[in-house]
Amino acid sequence: MAHGTGEARIRVPDRIAQGDVITVNAIVSHPMDTGFFRTKDGDPIPAYFINEVIVTYGGDEIARFEWTSGISRDPVVSFTLRADREAPLTMSWKDNKGGVYTQSVNIAFTAA
Amino acid sequence: MSEHSELPRRSFLQVIALASAGLAGSAALSRSGRLFGAIAAAGPDDPEIPNEEVARIYRERFGGRPITRAHVQLDMPAVAEDGRIVPVIIESDLPMTADRYVKGIHLIVDHNPDAHLAGFYLTPAVGRLSISTRIKMKRTTWVRAILETNTGELWADYTRVLVTLNGCG
Repeated sequence: MAHGTGEARIRVPDRIAQGDVITVNAIVSHPMDTGFFRTKDGDPIPAYFINEVIVTYGGDEIARFEWTSGISRDPVVSFTLRADREAPLTMSWKDNKGGVYTQSVNIAFTAA
Repeated sequence: MSEHSELPRRSFLQVIALASAGLAGSAALSRSGRLFGAIAAAGPDDPEIPNEEVARIYRERFGGRPITRAHVQLDMPAVAEDGRIVPVIIESDLPMTADRYVKGIHLIVDHNPDAHLAGFYLTPAVGRLSISTRIKMKRTTWVRAILETNTGELWADYTRVLVTLNGCG
């Protein structure tokens, strides 16, 4: 797993044919602090979590996720995509402190 | 009236008073039960709405619309040993076409601090409905996956997960 907050990876299948419905796996490094915990010294750890994820494909928004700190640390999400054209798939994770983390992967078709 | 009838009469009145208080109490309970029921439009085997927070989510997100337990599969472990990382898979056989598709998935964990844990808003571009992630769970409770179609239908699946280690703090 990546260590810096906001480091992200998107994984898609190696071989994609036009029209396939593929599974996209994504992970972003983030503490997803709930605000309910304290440090060993007793200081409260403020809530710090990703609250929105936007997924675009060739510039069109195809999905949007609304999250809370109930999503586990270093959030993973997988979803499907109908690969109907060669275009970048981009995800932006936004957190409650204004952080925005973006990662892209190119959806390209393998020759038959 | 003799002195002797006074005591039984008073206790009779007390019994009546207690009984009506009890009736009023149970009427209040069943009223709130009906209220939650009306919000949820739940089937006989569906989990009850456990608290005001979940009732509020139902009111605000689904209005009074009926929710039917079908077309959705919510896969979670029956026992989550670590409440910090509980896998969730939500799948559905509902169509994902241009005219008919699932526009939103609501993941609700009844007894978590944020009961509406996540919403996944989709378009037909995803092709088929399969979403997975990992969540935190505070304690043993029902988890609800409620899907809303673009035409406003609501479909759901529910599963009860036993949590042994609190994952929310």
